[in-house]
Amino acid sequence: MAAAHPRGRHRIRGVTRLAGLPLLAAWLGLVLILWGCTDGGSPSGPVTVVFKHAKLLGPVDPMPPLLKEFEATHPGIRVKAESLPWSSDEQRQFLVINLEGGNPGFDVMMLDCIWVPEFARAGWILDITDRLAPGELDAHFPAAAAAARYRGRDWALPWFMNVGLLYYRADLLAKYGLRVPQTQAEMVAAIRRVRAGERNPRLEGYLWQGKQYEGLVVNALEAIWATGTEVLGADGRAFPDPGRAAAALDFLRGLIEQGLSPRWVTAADEEITRRAFGQGEAVFLRSWPYAADLFELPDSPVRSKVGLAPLPRHDAGTPAPGSTGGSHLAVSRNTRHPEAALALVRFLTGERAQRMMAETGAVKPSRPALYHDPALVRAFPSLPRIHDLTLAGRPRPVTPVYVMLSTVLQPELSAALVGVRSSAASIAQARRQLDFMLAGLEG
Amino acid sequence: MRALAPRGTGLVLVAPALVVLAAVTAFPALWVVWLSLQRRVPIFGIAEFEGLRNYVYLAADPRFWSAARVTLIFTVVSVGLELVLGLMVALALAGQRRGLRAGIALLLLAWALPAVVTAKLFEWLYNPAAGLVNYLLGGARLNWLGDPTLALPGLIFADVWRTMPFVALLCLARLRGIPAEVYEAAHVDGAGPVATLLRITLPLCRQILLIAVLFRTLDALRAFDLMFILTGGGPAGTTETFTVYAYRSLFQTLHLGLGSAIGVIVFALVMLVAWGYLRALGREGIAA
Repeated sequence: MAAAHPRGRHRIRGVTRLAGLPLLAAWLGLVLILWGCTDGGSPSGPVTVVFKHAKLLGPVDPMPPLLKEFEATHPGIRVKAESLPWSSDEQRQFLVINLEGGNPGFDVMMLDCIWVPEFARAGWILDITDRLAPGELDAHFPAAAAAARYRGRDWALPWFMNVGLLYYRADLLAKYGLRVPQTQAEMVAAIRRVRAGERNPRLEGYLWQGKQYEGLVVNALEAIWATGTEVLGADGRAFPDPGRAAAALDFLRGLIEQGLSPRWVTAADEEITRRAFGQGEAVFLRSWPYAADLFELPDSPVRSKVGLAPLPRHDAGTPAPGSTGGSHLAVSRNTRHPEAALALVRFLTGERAQRMMAETGAVKPSRPALYHDPALVRAFPSLPRIHDLTLAGRPRPVTPVYVMLSTVLQPELSAALVGVRSSAASIAQARRQLDFMLAGLEG
Repeated sequence: MRALAPRGTGLVLVAPALVVLAAVTAFPALWVVWLSLQRRVPIFGIAEFEGLRNYVYLAADPRFWSAARVTLIFTVVSVGLELVLGLMVALALAGQRRGLRAGIALLLLAWALPAVVTAKLFEWLYNPAAGLVNYLLGGARLNWLGDPTLALPGLIFADVWRTMPFVALLCLARLRGIPAEVYEAAHVDGAGPVATLLRITLPLCRQILLIAVLFRTLDALRAFDLMFILTGGGPAGTTETFTVYAYRSLFQTLHLGLGSAIGVIVFALVMLVAWGYLRALGREGIAA
C-alpha cells in the first residue's frame, strides 16, 4: 500500500526512523530500572524475616498460630512464611538454586537433616555456634544434635524428628503364642508360623521400602548397620567391609525370593506399605512414627492391634538402630537480620512450639522431654515407646557428601534387590562411581 | 508490495528481541557447555577446568549407557505407538457425527491432565494388589513398577495414554480439512476403503504426521516427569532416562560439571533429531 504513495511512504520511513531510537532507549531504561530494583529494601521500620518451609501434614496446620504468637512476643519482627514445594527433591532443588545464586530472598529455611553438613560446607547457612547458649543443642535427641554439627560447629536446630521402627501385629503374634521378634531369624520364623496358621493368601509377611529413592537407602543402611558395618568408612571410602554389606543386601533380597516380603516392595514407598499394613495385609512393617497414629484412627482395620518395636537384629549381639530423620531449621548466611532470624529458629524449635506441633499430630518432637508430657501422652499413647526407639536411633552419615553417596547408591541397591546384579557386584559398581565423585573432596 | 525500511532501523528495532533471545537462550546454552568442561562442585568450592574428563567418564559409565538405552527404547516405542493409535483414533472419530464432541472432550481430558496427576493415577492403576491393571488381567499379581522387565513398558503405556490424544487431535484436524469431493472422486473411481486410506487419506496426512512425530520425538527424548514420579528411575535404573540422570547429577549430587555434560549430550541429540526432521519436512514442503 505504502509503495503506491511515494510521499506517504517517505513520511512513514521518517517516523519509523525517529521512533526506533526512543523505543530502544525506553527499553534500555526499563532494563536499568529492573536491575536497580534487585538491590532495594529499606533498613528502617520493622524487620521482616522470610521463612521457607514445607506445609506440615495433619488435620490442622499449627504454623499460622505459632507465627502469630512469635510476632506478638517479638515486636519489631515480622515473619513472612513462604511454602516450599511438596517433595523433598524439589525442596532441595529450590534451595540449592537460590542459595548458590547468592541472593536467596529468604532468611530462615527448613532443611532435611541430611543436608545440614552439605549446606554448611557450601557456606550457605550461618554458623550459629557462638549465638547458642552452652548445651542448647543437648536438649534435643543426640542423633538430631549430631545431624546439626559439622566440623565441631553448630549449624542448625532440630525442628522435628523421625526414627525407623518395626510395627507388628500384636494380635496375630499373641494368637500363635509368639513373642516380638528380636532377630531377623525370629521374625522370619514368626512370619512362617502366622501365615501357615492364617492360610490367607493376601496376608504378606514383612513390608519395607524398596523403591529406588532415599527411602531405599535408609532401609539398606539399617540392614547394613545391623550386620555391624558402615556405608561410609572412617577414611571416607564407601563400604569399608563390602562382605558384610553384601550379606545385608542378600538378606533383603532373600526376603523377596522366599516370599517373606512381597515382590512389590521393590516399588514401594512409605505410603504404599503403610496403607497395605493398615488394611491388615501384613504381619510386620518397617516405617516411621507417623504411621502409629494413622493405625489408631477410629475406622482403621488394625486399630489397637499394632505394636511398636526396635528393628530386628542381624545377630543377637549387635544392636540394630533405626535410622533417624526429620527436619532442622537453619539461617541463610546472606541474611541481613541474623538476630531476628535466629530468634525465629529458636522459637520454632523451642519446647512450646514443638509441643503445639506435636498436639496437631503433624510431627514428632526432637526434644525428649516432650515424649513424657502427660497431655501429649494421653493423646498419643505410643510416645514413650517412640522415645526409647528414637534415643537408640542413629543418624545417616553426617557428611557433606551424603546426598552424593545416596544418589549413587539408589540404583545399585535397587539392582541388588531386584536381582539384576549380585549384591557384591552392585557394591563394587557403587564404589567405582563414588571414587570418581568423591575424588579430592575432603569431608 | 511493501517497501523495505533501511537496514539500520530494522536492526535497531529487532535489537531488543535479539538481546533477550541471546540472554535467555544462547548464553545459558553456552554456559552449560562451559560448565561441562569443568569439575565443578560448589559445595566444596571446586571449579577447575578439566577439558573433556566428564565426557571421558561418561563414555565408560554403565549408568550413562543404561540411560541411553532407556531413552532410545522409550522414544522409539512410545512415539511409534502414539502415532499408530493416534491416527486410528482420529480416523474413527472423523467418521462420527454424534460422538465427535464427546470423543474430543475425552481425548483432551487425558492430554490436559498435569503429568503429576497422570503419574499418581498410574501409580494406583499399577498397584500390584489393588490396581485396576492387574484386576483386568484376571487377578494377576504383576509387579509393574518394581520389576526390571515391566517398569519401562508400564511407563511407556502411561505416556502413550497421556500423549496419544495430541497426535489424534492433530490428525483429526487434518482429516476434517480434506474436502469431501476428494473422497467422492475416489468413490466414483471405484476405490475401496483400503485403497482410499492408503492412496488418499494417509498421503494427505503425511505432513501433519511428520510434525506430530517431530514434536513427540523431541518430547520423548527429554522424558522426565513420569519416570521421576512413578519409579524414580528404578528399579535398578531400568527407567532412568538421560534427563533423570542429568537431574540427579545436577541437583542431587551437585556435580554441576558432570550433570551439564549429560545436558549437553541431550541438547546435541535433540538438535540433531530436530535438524533431521526439519530437513525431511522441508523436502516435503517442496514436493507438496
